[in-house]
Amino acid sequence: MNRRFVPWISLLLLWSLLPMLWQLISSLSTAEALVDGSIPFLKRWTLVHYQELWASDPPFWRYLLNSAVVSGLTTLITLVLAIPAAYGLARLPQQLRQLLRWITAGAALFPYVLLFLALLELARRFSLGNNLIALAMPYAGLAMPLALLLLTSAFEGLPRELEDAARLEGLSLWQRLRWVLVPLLAPATASTAILVFLFAWNEYPIALTWLSRDDLLTLPVAMARIAGSSIYSIPYGAYAAATVLGSIPLLLLVLICQRQIVSGLTNGAIKG
Amino acid sequence: MLHLNGLGKRFGDQWILRDLNLQVREGECVALLGPSGCGKSTALRLIAGLERQDEGSIELDGARLDTIPAERRRIAMVFQSYALFPHLSVRENLNLGLKIRGVAPTQRQQRINSVLDTVRLKEMADRRPQQLSGGQRQRVALARALLRDPRVYLLDEPMSNLDAQLRDELRPELRQLILQGSQPVVYVTHDQQEAMALANRIAVLKGGRIEQIGTPEELYKTPASCFVASFIGRPQINLLNVDQQLTIGIRPEDLHFDVDGMPCRLISREWQGASQLLLLDSPRGALRMLCSGDAALGESLSVSWPTRAEHRFDASSGRRLAG
Amino acid sequence: MTVLLLLPALLLMGLVFVWPMLRYGWLSFHADSVLTGLNPVANGGANWIRLLDDQRFWQDTLQTTRFAGVSVGLEMVLALAIALLLDQRWRGRGVVRALALLPWALPTTMMALGWRWIFNTPYGPLERLAEVVGLGPLNLLSTPASTWLVTVLADVWKTTPFIALLLLAGLQTIPEDLYSAFRLEGGRPNQALMSITLPLLMPYVLIALLFRGAQAFGVFDLIQVLTGGGPAGSTESVALYAYLNAMRFLDFGYSATVMLAGFLLLTLAVLVLAMLLRLGGLIRPVQS
Repeated sequence: MNRRFVPWISLLLLWSLLPMLWQLISSLSTAEALVDGSIPFLKRWTLVHYQELWASDPPFWRYLLNSAVVSGLTTLITLVLAIPAAYGLARLPQQLRQLLRWITAGAALFPYVLLFLALLELARRFSLGNNLIALAMPYAGLAMPLALLLLTSAFEGLPRELEDAARLEGLSLWQRLRWVLVPLLAPATASTAILVFLFAWNEYPIALTWLSRDDLLTLPVAMARIAGSSIYSIPYGAYAAATVLGSIPLLLLVLICQRQIVSGLTNGAIKG
Repeated sequence: MLHLNGLGKRFGDQWILRDLNLQVREGECVALLGPSGCGKSTALRLIAGLERQDEGSIELDGARLDTIPAERRRIAMVFQSYALFPHLSVRENLNLGLKIRGVAPTQRQQRINSVLDTVRLKEMADRRPQQLSGGQRQRVALARALLRDPRVYLLDEPMSNLDAQLRDELRPELRQLILQGSQPVVYVTHDQQEAMALANRIAVLKGGRIEQIGTPEELYKTPASCFVASFIGRPQINLLNVDQQLTIGIRPEDLHFDVDGMPCRLISREWQGASQLLLLDSPRGALRMLCSGDAALGESLSVSWPTRAEHRFDASSGRRLAG
Repeated sequence: MTVLLLLPALLLMGLVFVWPMLRYGWLSFHADSVLTGLNPVANGGANWIRLLDDQRFWQDTLQTTRFAGVSVGLEMVLALAIALLLDQRWRGRGVVRALALLPWALPTTMMALGWRWIFNTPYGPLERLAEVVGLGPLNLLSTPASTWLVTVLADVWKTTPFIALLLLAGLQTIPEDLYSAFRLEGGRPNQALMSITLPLLMPYVLIALLFRGAQAFGVFDLIQVLTGGGPAGSTESVALYAYLNAMRFLDFGYSATVMLAGFLLLTLAVLVLAMLLRLGGLIRPVQS
């Protein structure tokens, strides 16, 4: 059974990982090795690109930090708003709930890049530009449909009688959420949190238009800027190193949390 | 004393409950009996405050109950699914309500330990509900209800998820722990045997209305309609149409062998040990008969019944006829 | 009380999704550019008339639709294959699944330059491989046709894992018993695929199509960084065109018009598609 899948599995892995591996190899290759395939194997390697990154201004880890701040804040805001809302949605009468579900699904389909101009105007009018905290607001709004879909179906999955019993025990709404409902929602909350975090981390157009200061850029914007400035110049090694460093946190996140990600997407699929 | 006055509840255009009037005295247990969908669980939820009625009112000890939110009514309900919090241990399940209601920690400990002793679950205190058997979970639910120190007990088919043997074991416990207290108890069930065993009075519901209220004996001996007669008593009563206006009911246990009686053919029999249930084909239709387990059965059987054991109902309305 | 719970979330969503569309509607009937000193001045339907004649816009719409169609089509097929593979039981399945998910986790812009380098002439690995094999200079990023294919490849690489997971979820809802019964009736494995798997998977496939199709239409990150819309605007997407109008040409009125038009066209396409599918019986009407 195992045997006949091996070629396909290998193909899948090659397809998925080769481009990233290539980045890794390039990042460790000397500038000469990058253009000249005939340089002997042992002379091809160097860490200089990583050193350059470390010494650059602003330092590379700054971008990782910015992305982490925005993504973390977005996740927090989204969950704080979405959990009570999902509770409310799960308690609505059937027709209304169905309607809102369609609307939310529609919003989730939406190519959000189209929103950038209006959001940019808002940023300019209220001086929200170049402010990592302010950026979390539109992000939370964009992530809300996804969070609502996942969390509402999670709430619907809880047996109704549990909340009834809690009410009769004397628990008010907030007490019920705090002690009974939200703890029971933990797996769904974790999945939602990770998916929202990934979304915020990878977002580009809004960040591109809201952030211009070098030291405030999030990772995708920083990478694009570096790419724009070095198309034809060969210090590609530095860019490859940036890619590797930029990828590591995400790769770790996905590898560690893959079960939650998968279950979150799975539930989203089944609900959709 | 619990008063339900003209209670009504609608779902869309359909009335699930209509014109429900019921009084439950202190220390009394009234069973709401009926087939699925007859509104009995809804009645319970209205009393608990988990839903709002569309008509009528609820009073407890003279004061309006339905104006108070469910959290503050001090009513305990044992659910069909027990509704134990799966993420908490037994002890924490019992602790949660007490903590929220502001009981002091030492007091909480004391009361929880005491009630755990009462339901004999001391060793299970730190287990999660998933690790308990059905009967044990039910006892935790009971414990939680006891800890509430409620003014009314509501039981929603608490034993329907248990097998017959467990039910037999738990009935006396239930009686001792809850039914013998001074609080009114409303017990919902579809099992008439359970109702007859546990309740002081039974209210038979059909289509959201009470068909008849009375003691088990009253319902058994003088059912007010065909429906009640069919519902109370196992095996089910035999209903025979005499003509356009009359239907008579004979309980299987009132039939006896009589050489001069109606000749019948035996279709099937179920031997139950001390008794046996016979299905007979008679000139007046199929008959169920209960007789002794030792009775010898010949090829042809003749049965009859005493006229005074007959229940007479109007053929069209199903209501009991006087006389 | 329930309404209070819903309000903040719904308000935020309304702000982020509804307000822009309203704003674009208004803005598209105004001239707002450098020429007007960056103040909106009502100009009737001038922007819209301009749009109708705008070759570049319609060309971009065509390109974007073609991109979305081919990309999503390829992703579907590939994702189905991957999902089928991952649905089987073999050791290490979880690890492979996690590894296969990695492309999806990375920001598009980050890999974009990576792709540029991989396809770079003459130094990229692909080019050098071609040399070794004797295929000669490929120059994949210099002609419109091949550049377009590169963008499709990059998009497919990134989003296939996501769709594969969705389809995998769908596969796992199909009861094992159906396949057993089919075998007992004498059916062969590849027949099972056509008779059982695909029909039951249809709802998930359609949802994925819809979802990805809409997203792909809005492609921006990839195009801007990988090709900048070139060569000669052959890979430019509608979103990129709108962006250029706003940020480079500073013509906000027209940018809003482009985006609103794009949104309307997309909505129209989605609705038509949904209606066709429902008529074709592939989507069952929603039961409450």
